[in-house]
Amino acid sequence: MSLGKYLALDKLANLFNILKQNGGIRGTLYKLYRQEEAKDGVLVGEDKFGNKYYENPRYFYGRSRWVEYNEKFHLNYDASQVTSEWYGWLHYKTDLPPHQDPSRPKYKWMIDGNENLSGTTGQYTPYSTTRPKVEAWMPKKAE
Amino acid sequence: MLAIKTLGAAVPSTALSVIKKGAFAPIVDQVRQTHLPAPKPNEKRLYSPFQDASNMAEYAVARLDDLLNWGRKGSMWPMTFGLACCAVEMMHFAAPRYDMDRYGVVFRASPRQSDVMIVAGTLTNKMAPALRKVYDQMPDPRWVISMGSCANGGGYYHYSYSVVRGCDRIVPVDIYVPGCPPTAEALLYGVLQLQKKVKRMKTIQIWYRK
Repeated sequence: MSLGKYLALDKLANLFNILKQNGGIRGTLYKLYRQEEAKDGVLVGEDKFGNKYYENPRYFYGRSRWVEYNEKFHLNYDASQVTSEWYGWLHYKTDLPPHQDPSRPKYKWMIDGNENLSGTTGQYTPYSTTRPKVEAWMPKKAE
Repeated sequence: MLAIKTLGAAVPSTALSVIKKGAFAPIVDQVRQTHLPAPKPNEKRLYSPFQDASNMAEYAVARLDDLLNWGRKGSMWPMTFGLACCAVEMMHFAAPRYDMDRYGVVFRASPRQSDVMIVAGTLTNKMAPALRKVYDQMPDPRWVISMGSCANGGGYYHYSYSVVRGCDRIVPVDIYVPGCPPTAEALLYGVLQLQKKVKRMKTIQIWYRK
């Protein structure tokens, strides 16, 4: 154990590293406001929405991989904006990010994922294509 | 108005959307008019969903609504209605790993001081009057999260003689969380969806319109 570690100077170095990577004190405060956490890590990749995926094994397993959502989402980010390609990596199903994994299935019937649009006009609305099993009786009016 | 405009812009291209627009148009239209327009992919999303104020007064009430909704969505106290195994997942949601307290979600044992009811589990015929009574005791505004397939639509016990086929037959439900049981993560997502829904509430704006 080096003297620096003994005096916990590496923690201080981590703090400065976090401040530096998140864009100074202002940037770090903005990150804390937006995602309530400011970490330092290696940028692993970016998905089609522009979300950035980071990794730092210094953090405990389960927190060592994270996503920073695109700036344009601001505070309206949502877990469904993590694309299906990155989902497995982010949840430790695989260690290979999509651009380094050659064995991923690709078929032409696979549709492009999209975020959850519930609550907007783009939402999925269930509908039936069959005749209703119960047909209400409409009595004829007596004339 | 904006919702109707975007609806006009989206021309149905597939056969499915023709069906949607045909026989089921009234329901779909009704839903679409109370909902926000779908977000454009490359547009920056602002905090507030109310961006179409035409004068100062409308702007003011929209901001007041934002403030009210911010307060409401940041402190939603659920009435625990743990009925079956889903309640265990609800407890996981309360436990440190998923930690609902960080969203201001705190279990409250009294219906008179809670905002949300999480119906977690099978709702039996015998329990239904009690559920309705507890719901009636909650103060407005109140929301209901239906958790798990049993609460959503009877689930495994759909054909049982003693089970209500979905708690939406007893109380109006805001969020349905699917799963049997749903994971704590799924319930967390449901709560976040409810927060989004609360964010769109137009309490003061509707008062002003009247």
